[in-house]
Amino acid sequence: MAEKNSENTRLFVDMVAKKQGWELNRDEEHLEIIISGLMKNYNRYGYFACPCRDASGVKEKDSDIICPCDYCSPDQEEYGHCYCGLYLTKDFFKSGGEPQSIPERRKS
Amino acid sequence: MDNIKFIAESGNKNLGEIKVYALSTCAFCKKALKYLRENSITFMYIYVDDMEPEEKQTLKDKLRDRYKRDVGFPFMVINEDQVVVGFKEDEYKTLFTGE
Repeated sequence: MAEKNSENTRLFVDMVAKKQGWELNRDEEHLEIIISGLMKNYNRYGYFACPCRDASGVKEKDSDIICPCDYCSPDQEEYGHCYCGLYLTKDFFKSGGEPQSIPERRKS
Repeated sequence: MDNIKFIAESGNKNLGEIKVYALSTCAFCKKALKYLRENSITFMYIYVDDMEPEEKQTLKDKLRDRYKRDVGFPFMVINEDQVVVGFKEDEYKTLFTGE
């Protein structure tokens, strides 16, 4: 399995956002941390586990938190952005709001 | 939870024992640690995702049982009593400065 670097991890999130019609967080520092986290998770687990949740490292157990996660759409509907503050709805983006921590839907 | 190897950071303000359970990959965790550093608050932290799987699971189970909360990150415990999950700057400000 080829390792990911920050460039191709960035390409991945760009591609997901474009395909889904979402916007990325405009805060470059926030974005860089998430991209770096996704890259770290890919290179240690083999898949893009959500960087804001603790993954088990077993793909079957983590299938609901592989980016974009199963909770992204309901979180966007309620809060305008995903749990990580990575993917924003166009409306939330236009509002200029800054993503904040939101409640976790996944039961630990 | 007594044998966890926290990393301690000293600031000018000692507001009690502040432990932050964080993920090395999480932007809100990094923001929480940055807030504590920028406000010169003494705290200790550990990156839970870098722990060995068994040790990590034991820790999460203990945190959940002890504080009766689902474990999300950052998970901050103040004086072994008060728990704050997630990072909202306004909430931290109120907590640490009373503003």
